[in-house]
Amino acid sequence: MSDGRILVVDDEPQIRRVLRTTLSAQGYEIFDAKSGEEALEAMRRQRFDLILLDMNMPGMGGLEVCRQIRATSEVAIIMLTVRDSEQDKVAALDAGADDYVTKPFGILELLARIRAALRRLPVPQGTADETVELDGFHINLATRRVVTKDKEIRLTPKEFDLLRYLMGNPNVAIPHAKLLQAVWGPDYGDQVEYLRVFINQLRKKIEPEPSHPRYLLTEPWVGYRFVPAS
Amino acid sequence: MPLNNRLFVGLAGGLAAVAAVVVIFSRILPVNPSTVGFFFLLVVLATATAGGFAAACVASIAATLSYNYFFLPPIGQFTIAEPENWVALFTFLLTSLTASHLSGRARKEADEARRSQEATERLYALSRAILLTDAARPIGPQAAQSIAQIFDLPAVVIFDGKSNSTYRGGPLEIDDVDGRLHEIVRLGARHQDPSQDLDIWPIALGGKPIGALALRGMTGSDGAVQSILNLVAIALERVRTEEAASKAEAARQSEEFKSTLLDAIAHEFKTPLTSIKAAATGLRVLNTALPEDQSELVSIIEEETDHLNQLVTEAAKMSEIDAGKVKLKRALTEVQEVIAATKGGFSDDRVRIAPPAAALPQIWVDADLIVLALRQLVDNALKYSGADTPITCRAENAGNRVVIRVIDQGPGIPEHDRERIFEKFFRRPGVRNRVPGSGLGLHIAREIARMHEGDLWVEPGAAGGSEFCLALPTGLSCE
Repeated sequence: MSDGRILVVDDEPQIRRVLRTTLSAQGYEIFDAKSGEEALEAMRRQRFDLILLDMNMPGMGGLEVCRQIRATSEVAIIMLTVRDSEQDKVAALDAGADDYVTKPFGILELLARIRAALRRLPVPQGTADETVELDGFHINLATRRVVTKDKEIRLTPKEFDLLRYLMGNPNVAIPHAKLLQAVWGPDYGDQVEYLRVFINQLRKKIEPEPSHPRYLLTEPWVGYRFVPAS
Repeated sequence: MPLNNRLFVGLAGGLAAVAAVVVIFSRILPVNPSTVGFFFLLVVLATATAGGFAAACVASIAATLSYNYFFLPPIGQFTIAEPENWVALFTFLLTSLTASHLSGRARKEADEARRSQEATERLYALSRAILLTDAARPIGPQAAQSIAQIFDLPAVVIFDGKSNSTYRGGPLEIDDVDGRLHEIVRLGARHQDPSQDLDIWPIALGGKPIGALALRGMTGSDGAVQSILNLVAIALERVRTEEAASKAEAARQSEEFKSTLLDAIAHEFKTPLTSIKAAATGLRVLNTALPEDQSELVSIIEEETDHLNQLVTEAAKMSEIDAGKVKLKRALTEVQEVIAATKGGFSDDRVRIAPPAAALPQIWVDADLIVLALRQLVDNALKYSGADTPITCRAENAGNRVVIRVIDQGPGIPEHDRERIFEKFFRRPGVRNRVPGSGLGLHIAREIARMHEGDLWVEPGAAGGSEFCLALPTGLSCE
């Protein structure tokens, strides 16, 4: 039993080689794909825990691959990018990535990011079967399912953890750094743009009017606050 | 038909007609004097229409004399017997003169109308010709040829003062015209030379003379010439604007291309760097107990990979700054932090930081970019000064600015090059082959300073060498 099944998607053979060698040694089971198309094909045949996805690939680019994966799967995705610009980071998160790493990266940093992406918030004792009702939403904390009147809403693991953490601390403004460390891990804290993107995605999924949120409120300069239905 | 020619024909025709009336009515067909008077009147009117007022005057005097001599008694003498015939004769003279005057004026007005219509048509043709010039060929010669052709002139010369070139049209030459054209542009006043039937006008745009136009054999009104001048001025200026625009566009495209190229190269470098860095750091992960010497070697690989990556990132950043694509991310920053971060990028122990004389306010800058600019200055100082002379960074307060000085003890920069070294790709002749460099560093550093409403310049050092001064706005100046 490995620590996790990771699909490395990069058009550069040397990068695939290095990642296979180093990550295998850390107990992960590594698969690789040379292109976005090949990655999507692999996704149809097998299950992965995490995808390391290069952003700049010929053919279908990383962002498009990420969107297509997100359409059907909640697998953790870390985007690898050469550009260190705010726009690129937000574009990666917007496309559905859980995190991104700028090339060139050290393996220790990458391992930390992988652990954070695979990490799931442990379900607190006694809430195992708890279902939270929220104005037409049923959120099952144990099965990680969110169901509205007639359909199931898909949340990525990080989206779900973020929502659950906020719901666990209702009516309290939670600072950015605290949220980041709780959901992503202790190495995080400055990545305010992560929260911006993920909160926006959550609002689109659970708010009746995403542009005028009722549950997930922004506390300017501080963080975010969850307000349960009255 | 030219004026003189017409006068002559009208005069000859009028006198011939007077003679014919005399012959017909005195020899062939005798009638009473009143009838003859009416016929003379008709002849005078016809002469006025055909030959103008002057011809009609001569004809009417001839007619009056003939009327008196051949038809008013006593016939054959210039005397008049009956007083009423005096009245008849003077009435005839007056009527014929008045009628011929009116007829001549009508004639003149019709002529003028025709001339002005002709001038308008020609100007229209010229404006069309100038608007529809072939964009692939220079407009000057085309305009000169069009003017010569449309106004039927033997020689036309356009002088464009800004490009200092002359364009000729028409089959003939004008002697010794170039010097005079220059003179007209300088004086801004018209010049006429009747010996060559030559008229030279200044071409002005917005009140400023931009050239001159020499016309040979031009008969049109001054208004028509003024219109030609305006058309030529607009044509010359239009070409200049188009040229400037296309040059600017070409320059922009070339900049964009260079910047894209550099960006692409940066990415190409980053791919192998990623593999090297991942492999080197991977070694450490695979074997946490590397022997010390091997661990040292892995460290060197890692450090140099980071160094190379930093160079590539900076090169890409510089191309972005150069292409004007960078947005400032400003924050209040401690000056000493920026200087320390700059020094941290150099392993050379010649780089020293001098403590400021007094406490400094925070600066309102994009710290990454300022470090990039300072790195260029320090790097430059290291390259150009002796192996054992120190490079000192010192900051000082200067009103609402902080000036960071990078002081070296190198050979210094001669005064005439102190501004030129900030030009893009400029490298001083003496150092071009001795010291590696792209000629971009100082240019980019100054661009960065100016993006911050700051500045960068060089002063001769107190102890020889140079002091590069980077002035940056403080937090106070942003409020």
